[in-house]
Amino acid sequence: MRRGPSAGPGAVLGVVTALTYVFLYAPILVLVALSFNAGRLSGSWEGATLDWYWKAATNPAILASLRNSLLVGTAATLVATAAATAAALAFHRHRFGRQGLLEALLTIPTVAPEIVLAASLLLLFAALGLRLGFTTVILAHVAFTVSYAFVIVKARIAGFDHGLEEAATDLGAGPVRSFVMVTLPLIFPAVMAAALLVFALSIDDYVVTSFVAGVGSSTLPLQIYSMVKSGVSPEINAVSTMLLVATGLMLLAAFLIEQGRSLRTAALPAALGLGLLGAPFGLAGGPAPASRVLNLYIWSSYIAPETLAKFEARHGVKVNVDLYDSNEALLAKLSAGNAGYDVICPSDYSVEVLRLQDLLRLLDHSALPHLRNVDAAFLDRAYDPGNAHSVPYFWGTSGIAYSRKHVGEPPVSWGALFDPRYRGRILMLDDAREAIGAALKWRGHSQNTRDPRLLEAAREDLLRQKPLVRTYNSSNFEDILLSGDVWLAQAWNGQIAKAMEQDPDIGYVLPREGSTLFIDNLAIPVDARNVALAHAFIDFTLEAEIAAEICRTMKYSSPNRAAWPLLPAELRANSAVFPPADALGRLELIRDLGEATVVYDRLWTEIKSE
Amino acid sequence: MREKRREAVGLLLPGLVLLGVLFYLPQLLMLVVSLGRRTAYGGVEHALSLANYQRALDPLYLTILGRSVLLAVVTTLLCLAVGYPVAYWLARRAPKRWRNALLTLVILPFWTSFLVRMYAWIVLLRSEGVVNLALSGLGLPRADLLYNDFAVLLGQLYGELPFMIIPLYVSLEKLDPSLLEAAADLGADARRSFMQVVVPQTLPGIAAGCVLVFIPSLGAYLAPDLLGGGKTAYIGNLIQAQFAVARDMPFGAALSFVLSLTVLALFVVLRRPLAKARAL
Repeated sequence: MRRGPSAGPGAVLGVVTALTYVFLYAPILVLVALSFNAGRLSGSWEGATLDWYWKAATNPAILASLRNSLLVGTAATLVATAAATAAALAFHRHRFGRQGLLEALLTIPTVAPEIVLAASLLLLFAALGLRLGFTTVILAHVAFTVSYAFVIVKARIAGFDHGLEEAATDLGAGPVRSFVMVTLPLIFPAVMAAALLVFALSIDDYVVTSFVAGVGSSTLPLQIYSMVKSGVSPEINAVSTMLLVATGLMLLAAFLIEQGRSLRTAALPAALGLGLLGAPFGLAGGPAPASRVLNLYIWSSYIAPETLAKFEARHGVKVNVDLYDSNEALLAKLSAGNAGYDVICPSDYSVEVLRLQDLLRLLDHSALPHLRNVDAAFLDRAYDPGNAHSVPYFWGTSGIAYSRKHVGEPPVSWGALFDPRYRGRILMLDDAREAIGAALKWRGHSQNTRDPRLLEAAREDLLRQKPLVRTYNSSNFEDILLSGDVWLAQAWNGQIAKAMEQDPDIGYVLPREGSTLFIDNLAIPVDARNVALAHAFIDFTLEAEIAAEICRTMKYSSPNRAAWPLLPAELRANSAVFPPADALGRLELIRDLGEATVVYDRLWTEIKSE
Repeated sequence: MREKRREAVGLLLPGLVLLGVLFYLPQLLMLVVSLGRRTAYGGVEHALSLANYQRALDPLYLTILGRSVLLAVVTTLLCLAVGYPVAYWLARRAPKRWRNALLTLVILPFWTSFLVRMYAWIVLLRSEGVVNLALSGLGLPRADLLYNDFAVLLGQLYGELPFMIIPLYVSLEKLDPSLLEAAADLGADARRSFMQVVVPQTLPGIAAGCVLVFIPSLGAYLAPDLLGGGKTAYIGNLIQAQFAVARDMPFGAALSFVLSLTVLALFVVLRRPLAKARAL
């Protein structure tokens, strides 16, 4: 290599590059470190452990999702890279009319926001009557990666010299031979880079996959995002670390071969890497026969594997679990039809939306004898009169979580979140209905109001509050509270209950003005195939011992009165899981507001945009 | 000649058919949706009305669109400024046998969830975070690194950098060294030969990198939300909210088409000057 006259600039380039690698790998190092942290939350270091690796390796849901991600990523990479390379070559080899137009057609798909692509693909698959599953996920991943691959390969090909290929042809090489011997080596770096990037886009895709995945085709990002509601567990860090180690080993093997080392030297890292990547295929277990399968679509950390195993053993069936992270994802998928689930877990207002769209099956109460175990406070609510379509499973609240270290007296009113004394130490949920709801409640109004004057007042309160707010966050708020970055947080109780286990200095209160109650329910979609088994499952979760086990293992509030005496005393005493009885009377359900939903959305946009 | 034509069609067909069925057809369905109306329960009532587009042109939403374009421009320039030297070093200075491995190392972090990496950045940047602990360990004052514009840009740079480095790398790597030698022989200094030889030769890579960074940055929402504290609305959040919170698919679709048309308009406006620059 010819050294330029400038060793100086060369050194600068080297330093910039080195710093860039540090920048790219800094969060990776954190992630690896956290995978060994004994504490469940990243807020503090609690000592080293290998527990999370063991937990990940024995969690069938995580393994299955990792396996699915690897399958989908590989398939999408092969198809997208091949199609994109072929298209780019067409531009290289030929001059034709409308070249600009064709190039634009192949590039434009990068323009569409992911969520729009996701919803449009769901519309397409519904129109075609395609069942959501692996095929739809792979097709969708191809759809959003082809253009990226095309742009990269095209950048390599632009302005290429045709001479070499022509020479090869002149020397009698056939088209295949001249492609393999001449063209491929020239474009190989671009094809490889494109493939790596497509795989990266595919294996990290959440938005598109959450719309088009069906029974048994959940990928790792779906697993990760659905875990957010219960706090992202370090198991994910452990899985990510293993994935990095495995790909690092494969990379090392490829590198050794490239350097001309013997295949035997490269065999060890290659075998180790492949072994790690192959492990989820062996450990996750294969699909069960469809006839005796219950397809459950539920929030993450809502039921323990051992509880499912009991049901499977009792009925001689297999329960297939897929996870979601928002009611809206559930609504979108059920509205499109063809989802294939037997039991779902919608929250209160979504039950109403689904019910009114005739998407839920009427429940046969004679098949649900244990429904009598449920406390009357959670039955016959307005979203589902007489519980004709749904049965309460868990319930929860939103309230104020606080750090006792920094906030002396427990806050009693929503006013604490609007108090200038806590400037820069306040967290609000990044959720239109909850944040506006807190402002409304503070002034003594219902969080379901449609009165424009009350909403205007709430807007002004929230705008005044904005300079006091450190961050709006509805995903890892408990971690931010735990780390000391904020002292007061509007919060949902489930994640706070888990944070309180790690740090006794965290408290949770339901303000005196009242706050939000939510009830998550089990229901059967109208197109469920295994209706009898679905009823059996719902009744199973209502049995006192089973409901107590679910509550004990998942630590959300159980509506099952018969289960309460069976719970450990410290769980009964946890104020985040079982708030004081007098507070319960002040809770209000969030209702679907129909047309007025748009008003809340605009109001929230105005506050965020100010 | 006819055979060559057939070959070109054969090469283009798979890509065009895939995108035709999996992108253009669904977008057409979306276009139909964008002319409809949200029903009380978040479904779609079909109609032929431009009301959603009218709503999208409200100053509130146009301000948000403008802010998003600004964020995307700054992100693109930042990525270009950091990415070009890195790509140049990888493609021209790094030992040849290391290049593929080094390039793969640029992409490898992106095989883990972006969400998880954003959480890791919070651990690094928060007030009692790794960076601040290191600063105070060195006797330096602590810095406010999280929940501000700095954090948003850092997250954007982090998320988009490989999409700049890779196309730059593939176009720098094929740069013919004899061109640089010729420039040097003709008496051009390093700066001049860089501006007059290297940059024009790698324009396709620069253009590709800018496209791959600029467009996704327009729809960004994770970094602004998690690192920026969610205190500013960008078009990405807005569209996301229409589909995932307000269940107002017609309005979300209209916003998305306004965004796409903005991008296309920018490209049409920029095409001339770009072509001119390439011709120089």
